[in-house]
Amino acid sequence: MDKIKIVNLKKSYGQGAAVDNVNLTVRDKEFFSLLGPSGCGKSTTLRCVAGLEEPTAGDIYIAEALVNSSAENLNVPTEKRPIGMVFQNYAVWPHMTVFENVAYPLKIKKVSKTLTRQRVADALDTVGLERLADRYPSQLSGGEQQRVALARALIKEPEVLLLDEPLSNLDAKLREHMRFELKELQRRAGIPILYVTHDQAEALAMSDRLAVMNAGRIVQVGTPMEIYARPADCFVADFIGLMNFIPCRVVAHDSETATVELTNGCQLKIADRHGLEGECVVAVRPEDITLSRTGAVECRIEVRNYLGNLIDYKISAGTQIIRVQTANTAVYEEGAGLTFTIERASLLPSFEARQSRA
Amino acid sequence: MAAALLCMVLGTLSAFLVVRTDLPYKRSLRTLMVLPYAIPSFFSAIAWIQLLGPQGYLTRFFVTLFGAGTAPWNIYSPGGIVFVLTAHYFVLVFITVAGALERMDASLEEAARASGATTYRIMKEITLPLVMPAIFAGGLLAFIGSIANFGIPALLGMRARFFVLTTSIYYALAIPDFALATALSGMLVVVALMFLTIQLWLQKGEGKYTVIGGKSVHPAELKLHSLKTPMLVCAIIFGFFISLVPMLSMFLTAVLKYWGAALTPGSFTFEHFLYIVNLEAAKRALFNSVVLAALAATVTMFVGTIISYMHVKARLRGSRLLDFLATIPYAVPHTVIAIAVILAWSRPPVSLYGTFWIILVAYLAVYIPFAVRTTNATLQQIHNSLEEAARVSGATFGQRLRHVILPLSRPGMTAGWILVFMPALRELTISILLYAHGTETIGVVVFNLQDAGYREVAAALACIVIVILIFGNFLLKKLTGGVSGF
Repeated sequence: MDKIKIVNLKKSYGQGAAVDNVNLTVRDKEFFSLLGPSGCGKSTTLRCVAGLEEPTAGDIYIAEALVNSSAENLNVPTEKRPIGMVFQNYAVWPHMTVFENVAYPLKIKKVSKTLTRQRVADALDTVGLERLADRYPSQLSGGEQQRVALARALIKEPEVLLLDEPLSNLDAKLREHMRFELKELQRRAGIPILYVTHDQAEALAMSDRLAVMNAGRIVQVGTPMEIYARPADCFVADFIGLMNFIPCRVVAHDSETATVELTNGCQLKIADRHGLEGECVVAVRPEDITLSRTGAVECRIEVRNYLGNLIDYKISAGTQIIRVQTANTAVYEEGAGLTFTIERASLLPSFEARQSRA
Repeated sequence: MAAALLCMVLGTLSAFLVVRTDLPYKRSLRTLMVLPYAIPSFFSAIAWIQLLGPQGYLTRFFVTLFGAGTAPWNIYSPGGIVFVLTAHYFVLVFITVAGALERMDASLEEAARASGATTYRIMKEITLPLVMPAIFAGGLLAFIGSIANFGIPALLGMRARFFVLTTSIYYALAIPDFALATALSGMLVVVALMFLTIQLWLQKGEGKYTVIGGKSVHPAELKLHSLKTPMLVCAIIFGFFISLVPMLSMFLTAVLKYWGAALTPGSFTFEHFLYIVNLEAAKRALFNSVVLAALAATVTMFVGTIISYMHVKARLRGSRLLDFLATIPYAVPHTVIAIAVILAWSRPPVSLYGTFWIILVAYLAVYIPFAVRTTNATLQQIHNSLEEAARVSGATFGQRLRHVILPLSRPGMTAGWILVFMPALRELTISILLYAHGTETIGVVVFNLQDAGYREVAAALACIVIVILIFGNFLLKKLTGGVSGF
C-alpha cells in the first residue's frame, strides 16, 4: 500500500516554481528521504504533504485518501490529516511540561484522562524520556527536546511521520547517534517516514529509498546504493559523496561499453548503456582509483593528508587534479611520480548540467 | 533646534561615560539618567519652575549664597524652555548612542590600537565617526520630540507671551479660530514629517556601518585612572540634578504649607493631599484618566493583536498596508492628532466634541502604533513552527490561539498594555485640547492648577501620578525581564 502518493505536484511563489512537477510514492513502513541543497524545494514538498502550504497544482494522497487536489479544489486542512510531524527547531511548546506537550494531540481528540496518562507514559518510554515527564522544555537538552517532539508526533498514531531536518540542530556526535536511534524507532513503530535533509550522509545512512532534488525537480530516485554507484547526472554525482570529474571524448562504443579518450590522450573503456557521444565526463569516486608503480596512467602525488582510517591524496595527471582515497597502508611520499588505474567509473553527459547548478 | 543640539552633546557624553568607561555604579547611573523621561514633560516643567522660578528653591539658595539681589536667570523665557526641553529629551540621544556603543565590535578599536593609535585618537577617529549616525538619529528624535512638545513651552513660554507652534495651536483653539489652528497644525506636520523622513533616511544609510551590530563582543572599557573620582562625582551630580532634584522638589512642594515657606518642621503639611481628595474635579479627573487609559490600552492591544496576527502570522495580502497605516500616527505630533480628531468627529452624523469619547478616539489614534509595535514583536518571537506543530496535532484555529499563541504571548501583551496605559494616564497634550467640563484628565487638572497658581496642590497631584508611574514602570521591568522600562 502506498502511504504517500504525490502526483504532478507544483508550487510557485510569484513567477518562480519552488516545486516543479514532483511525483513520488512512499510505501508502507518505508524510510524515504528527500535530499537536496537548500532551496531545492524539498521542505516545500514536505509542507505541502502536511497541508502547511497549499500546492499550486497536483494531487496528494495520504494512506490512499485524497487530501489535496487542485482539479477538485480540495485541500484538507493540516489538523484533519493523519500525520505526525517533527520540525527542524523541534517546536516544543515552552509553556507546557513534557507530559503536556506529548499529551496535547490526545487532549484535542478528547481522549480520557486515564487512557491519556497510559499512552503518554508508553510514548515517553519509547523515546527514553519517562523520567522527565514533569520537566519544562527549557530544562531539557536539544536532543531531549527532539525526543519530546518525536513522542508528540507518534502519539496520535499517524499514518505517516514527516520529519523536516530534525537532526540539523544537534551536535555532530549526537546526530550520528540519533541516525541509528531514529531508524530503530521507525522499525519498532512500523511507521513510514518522509524525511527531509540536506545532509547526504544522513540520507544514505537511514533511507530505504531517497529522492535527490535540485531546483524544484526530482533528479533521481533510488536506494542509497543505486544512487551512490550510478548517479543519474553530474549534479547527483557531485552532491552525493566525493567525485572526480574528468572531461573526455567518446571515440567508439558498442552496446555495453564506450571507449573514451582523456585530454592527455589516454583511452579508457567504461560501461555505458545510454549511447553517449561527443564531449562527456568520466565520474570517478576517490576510492575507485588505485595508485601503483605499474598502472595505466602516469601521475604525481601533490598533497597527502593522513586521515587515520584512510589516506587522502591529491594527484596530478597533466593539468587534471584528482582526489584519491586509499587504505592507510598505501603510503606514498609527496612529489613521488606514480601511475594510477581507474577501477570503476560512470560516463555522464557533458559538463553543462554541473555548471548550470552554480 | 538649540535644545536638540544640546541634547546631542549631553546625551553622547553621558552615554559614553556610562557605557564605555570603568566608572563604578554604572547600572544605577544609567537608571538615574533615563529616569526624567519616565515622568511627563510638563511635570518636569513644573518641577523646574519650583526650582528655578523667581521664588524657586535653587534661586533662593543662589541668592543667599552670593548675596545677589535677583537671580541672573529667568525660567519663563526661551532659554528656560530650551533648558527644560534639554533636560527632558537628552535621554533619547543617551539611549540611542548607548545602544550603538554597546553593539560596536571591539575589534574595530583593537585594530586601531594595533596600528599604533593612542586612546584619544581612537576615540576621535574611529569611535566617534562610527557612532555619528546614532548621535544624529537621537538628535533628530529629540528635535521631533521638542517641536511637538506642548507642556513645557505652555507652562514656561505663554506667560512671557513667547509662543511656539504647539502653544499657538492651543491659543487658536481657545479663541476659537479653527482655520488658524488647522493651518498651524499643517505646518507642524510638515516640519515633523520632514525630520522624520531625514531620520528614516539616516537609518537606511546605516547599512554602510553594518560593522556595528552582529557579533556581541563587549568593547573594552576605557580606564579612567586618576580621572575616575572626578568623573564619577560629575556624573552623579549631573544625574542627580537632572532626575532626582526635580522629583524631590515636586514632593517638597506638595508637603509644604505654601511654595517658598521656610523649611521648618512647622511648615510641613498633608493638607494639599487632603484638598485633592476633596476636590471634585481632581477625583473626576483621576477616574476619567484611569478609565480612559485602561480603555485605550485594552482596545489598542486588541486591535494591535488582530493587525499583528494578520501581518506577522497569516501574512494576508494588504496586511502590510494596514500595518503601515497603523504606524503613521507615530510620526504626527499629538497636537495635530487632536485637531484632526476635532475636525473628523465634531460634525453630524457623529458629533463627539466635548464628550469623553472624543478623547478616547484621539488616544486610540495615538497609541495604536505603540500597541502594534509590541504585538508585532511579541508575535514575531513565537516561531511559526510552534503554531504549525499544534495544527499537526489536530488543533483548530481557536484551539491554537487558546492553547499556544495567547499563553506564549501573555507577558508581552501585558507589558504592551502597561506601555499604553502609563503614557495615556499622564497625557496632557491631547486632553487639554479636547476636554470639556466634566471630562478633565489628570494632566489637564495638574496643568490648570499650576497655571492658576495652585502650585502646591498641582505638585501633590503630580506626586500621586509619579508614584503610580514608578510602580507601573517597576511592574513593566519585572514582566519583560528588564527589556522595557527603566
